[in-house]
Formats: sequence, C-alpha cells, structure tokens
Amino acid sequence: MKILARLVLAVVAVTTLAAAAVSQPAERGVTATEIRIGTTMPLSGGAAFWGVPISGAIDAWFKNINDAGGIHGRRLSLVVKDDGYLPPRAVANTRELVERDGVFALASSLGTANVFAARDYVIETQTIWITPLASADIWAGYRNKKYMFMTYPSYIDEGIFLTKYAAENLKTQKIAVFYQNDLYGQQGLLGVKRGIAQKGIKLATSVSYEVTDAEVTAQGLKLKESGADTVLLYATPRHGALIVREMAKLGFRPTLVSSFTLADPAMFALAGEAWNNVYLSAYFPLPGLDPRVDAVLATLSRINPALARNPFNAVAGVGFVEAFLEGLRRTGPQLTKDRLVTAMETIKNWDGEVMRSVTFGADRRQGTNRLFMIKAENGKYVKLTDWYSYPTKF
Amino acid sequence: MTRLLQYVVGGLTTGSLYALVALGIALLYRSSRVLNFAHGDLATFATFIALTLLARALPFGVAVGASLATAAAMGAGFYFFVLRPAKEGTLLGRIVITLGLALLLSGVMQLVWGNETQRFPFPLSDVPVLQFSGVVVSQISLGTIVASVTLMALLYVLVQRTRVGLAMRAVAQNAAAAQALGIPARRIYALTWGLASALGGAAGVLLAPAVYLDPFMMLDPFLKGFAGAVLGGMDSLPGAVLGGFLLGVAETIFAGFVSFKFKTTLAFGIIILVLLVRPEGLLGREYHRRV
Repeated sequence: MKILARLVLAVVAVTTLAAAAVSQPAERGVTATEIRIGTTMPLSGGAAFWGVPISGAIDAWFKNINDAGGIHGRRLSLVVKDDGYLPPRAVANTRELVERDGVFALASSLGTANVFAARDYVIETQTIWITPLASADIWAGYRNKKYMFMTYPSYIDEGIFLTKYAAENLKTQKIAVFYQNDLYGQQGLLGVKRGIAQKGIKLATSVSYEVTDAEVTAQGLKLKESGADTVLLYATPRHGALIVREMAKLGFRPTLVSSFTLADPAMFALAGEAWNNVYLSAYFPLPGLDPRVDAVLATLSRINPALARNPFNAVAGVGFVEAFLEGLRRTGPQLTKDRLVTAMETIKNWDGEVMRSVTFGADRRQGTNRLFMIKAENGKYVKLTDWYSYPTKF
Repeated sequence: MTRLLQYVVGGLTTGSLYALVALGIALLYRSSRVLNFAHGDLATFATFIALTLLARALPFGVAVGASLATAAAMGAGFYFFVLRPAKEGTLLGRIVITLGLALLLSGVMQLVWGNETQRFPFPLSDVPVLQFSGVVVSQISLGTIVASVTLMALLYVLVQRTRVGLAMRAVAQNAAAAQALGIPARRIYALTWGLASALGGAAGVLLAPAVYLDPFMMLDPFLKGFAGAVLGGMDSLPGAVLGGFLLGVAETIFAGFVSFKFKTTLAFGIIILVLLVRPEGLLGREYHRRV
C-alpha cells in the first residue's frame, strides 16, 4: 500500500512539474524584463579595428532602444567577449555565451574563419544567430540553418562584381589580388577568379599575407613585378593601409579596388594620400550619402562618442542587428525561438535605418544580395553606381 | 639582379629592426640567462609614451628621448623590484615572471591607449624615394637602417671599450667572482636591463611609423627578433645582430622567390635547424658550465 501511495505521489509530482514547465515556456536568455544577446568579436589583435566599433555600435543601439522602453517591455542586454580574431577563441567564447551566459541569440560574430569554426556548434545547439559576419557563401548548401538569418554580402559575389566593374569601367586587363591567407581572403580571391573567367581578362598574380605579419615589403615588390594594372584588396585595414603605402613607396601606382571591408573613412587617416582614388563596393548607404544613416550615426555618437571615429563600421553594426530587432517586434510579447523564426520569415523588402530591402522567407536566410560602387576622393567617398543585385543562394 | 637587390634592400630594412630586438634579447640573456618575454611589450609601451608626448607637440627628439628613458627606467625597475627579490626562484620561474609582465603591460596599454591602430608621426616620410640603378630605397627605410646600425655601434663601444662595459662582461661571465672583485653586480644587472629595454624601445619607435602602432605591434617582430638571436647565437651580441639581418633578408627573399604562405614558418624552421646543427648559434661560443 505504502509503495502504491509513493508511486501515486511521484506521478502527481512529475505531472505537476511538467505542467509548470509547459505553462512557463522558459526560453533561454529571455525573462519578463530582459533579452540577453551575446557576441564574440576581435576587441584586440589585428581586426580590433572592426570588432571594437561594431560591438560598440550594437551596444549603443541597444541602449538607444532600451531608453525608449525596450521591445515589448524587455530590455536588450549585450554580452561581448574578445576573441582576438582567433578561431579557437571564437569557438570557446561562443560555447561560453550559450552554456554559461545563457544568451537567447548570438549577434554577428566576426571573421569568416571564426564563424566557420563555430558554425557546427551553433547549429547543433539550435541557437538563434543573426548575421554572422562571414562571407555568405559558407552557408550555401549547408543544412539545418533554420535559426540563422543574415544580412551580410558574399565575398565571392563581391569579388565577381568588383572584377567585372573594373574590367568594364576601369580598363582593367591584368589584375593582381592581395589577400588574407584565410577563408575571408580565399573567398574573395575565388570571386575575382570567377570574374576574370567571365570577362576574359588576366590574373597577374595573387599575393597573400598572414594576419600576424607585421610588414608587407615582399608582397609590395611581388605586386609591382607582376605588371598588374589593377590591384584588388581583401585585407584587414592595417594590412590594406600597409600595402597601398608600400606600393606608393615603390613608385607602383595601379588602379586600386577594395572589398567593402575597408570602406571605413578611418582608412584615410591610416593610409593617407595613398587611399585616394580607391574603388570599393558598398552594401548599405554610407554615412554622408543618406540622411537616415546620418541620423543613426548621430544617435550612436551621442551614446558613445568614440564611435564617430569609425563611422562606417559603427553604422554597419546597427545594420547587422536591425532585421533581428524588427523580428523581435513582430514576434510580440510571447517570445520563443520558433515564434521569432516565424516572425522573421514575414520580413519582405523591408527597409531598416541602415540595411535596405531585406527579405527573408521559409527557405530564404540570405537577407540581402545587393552592392553598389563607391570611390575615395579627397578624404571622402562618392557614390558611383546604382544597386547591382546578385542571385541569392539560400 | 635588380630584382634580387630590391628584395635584399627590403629585407635589410626589416632585418635591422629584428637585429635591434635580437640585440636587446641577447644582451639580457647573456648576462642573466633570462629570456625576457616582456621585451616586445616594453618596446610598445615606450612607443606609446612617445606618441603621447608627440601629441602634446613636443619635439620628436625630446619625445623619443623621454620614451627611451622611460623604457630604461621600467626595465631597471623591473629588475630591482621584481626579478631581484625573486632570485631564489628557478630560472624558469624568472622567465615566467617576464611573461607575467608582458601580459600586464599589454593589458595596461589596451586600457590606456585602446586597441585602435594608430599612425605614428615620424620626421622621415616613406614616399620620397632614392633610386640606385633601379633599386628603390625610401627615406624611412634608409633612416631605419642608419639609426639601427648607429645604435648597435654605440652599444658595441659601450660594452667593449668602457669600464662599465668591462664590468658588464665580467658580471655576465661570473657574477659571484665579479662581485668579489668589487663590481656592484646588482647595479650592473639593472643597467643591463635598462639598456636592453631602451634598445627595444628604439626598435618600437623605428618600427611604428612603418607598420602602425597598436598594443600588439611587437608580437611578430619580437618572435622574429628572438629567432634572429637564436640563429646568430644568444650568447653573442654581434651574432644577434647578424642573425636579425640574415633572418630579415632570408624571409623577404624566400617570400619573393618561393612562397608567401611559409614566410613566417621559415623563421621557426631556421630555429629548429640551428638548434639541431649548431645549438650555440652562428657566432655563439659553446656554453660550458664549470662543475
């Protein structure tokens, strides 16, 4: 009899607990008053130039939203961890954010190699991941990315676009590529090679560097020797600035074309005169070219004045998360992962403050597929072309 | 031929900086057997001091002089207040202490000056270039080589031709015997630490205009300087200089004619090879401990 009573008690207890669990859909990182979001960024090392302003801007933008009451009464809090641009540290940080800090979503981890390294873990744990800053192409054909949404271009498509633009408009015949010897640079190089094949021009040479390299003397000499009329850059700001100065030093002045990754006006301060006349792509309207983007920059600078020094990277930081914020708004007060996914999938041709024409869907995770060309002139960027679209892949 | 010469010139510029770093490392190693892992961070710290002073519109010479003096004081202070009290510790323990100092300095720099990459103003520019039968040399490269070689020559005179230098050599050979003969060994050690740190600072100031300044600027040059010192002989000052120059030139030529991807690997490949074939380095003398 006693045993039966205990059994009944146990069953009652389990049922009650289960019922309690159902009535409180406790989503990790979400409370009645807070949504916790995490990111791992290079706050030190060779890519701090990107990581510091981008994470700073996301944090400032969250503060801005919190000051206005948050989203459905919940404040946004951001946990930032430094990975020094090292993939192993990025993986460790990501695990820590999910397992120890218990974040609801990951926002924009930076670096194609870093994202690539952490990808399997994030997908397996079914964590919401919004705009991992990696070439979009690493996701093409990758399965189970239900919880991943991105508004970041593909370096392959960008490489094709830049090469075709150079061949059609800058009289480029022989192109040389200066690239980072990791997945970021390799994807860019692949794009350039495809563009070259399409246009029937020549690859003069491709010259790589390591993120840890302090100087690029030999690379400059090699580029000069190649006899290229155009040099295309897939580099960190530091190495990009070093190589354009190195080429100028050698009296080698080819047409310079660069990935949008070097579009921050701070490049003028680093590379000086050598940064003038560089052609770049862009994937959102730059500060100075669009009043709404300027307003975002003004808000960011008011909250964190240091962000005004890296206007492009700061504004980009907002661009990476704003579709997610729109998704949170559309989800309503009852926030769960799956409800967020459903809400995100209703975003069609949506214009944010920074990112424009964002579209997601049941089988679409690549939110943007557009670029345009800009040129560095006298310490400023001017717009050269209208939007150009490339096909979406996932 | 012009092509090869151009690579050699490029290599000499980088090599001169490796040599300066190597010299600082070897100077300390030979006197105290301590491999100073904080050498690079001390150098970067000094460079930041120079940048701060330059931002206050101080003349270049004054700012750099003050920053080198700071580096020297920090090096000597580190010996006096941290390493000397820890003299009972093992050699490995002392080396780990320098690693701690490196982390501490790096943290302080990130806190005070931030992680941003910054331009370091320099009186010489890199755009006006000199041409020697097709070989291009920039003002800044020439300045770097000249300044490094001058510093090395001054150190040579100090160590080989002065009484202080004699004392330094005596302490390096046998500290106990030198002390018994009335040489203030601790002060000589502190002086050695100060000199080595100032040399590192000079390397930092010469490197910063060429590669930009951030708290991690010396990471790669420090490793290369260390490789250069091992190549030339950790025990020998001329060896360290030779090693630094050789490594700079070898690296640049290797990158230009063989592969960029294995440029950094080359330095470490060289270390392994030297340790296998000639552990004392090119100019080093075999180290015998008397029993």
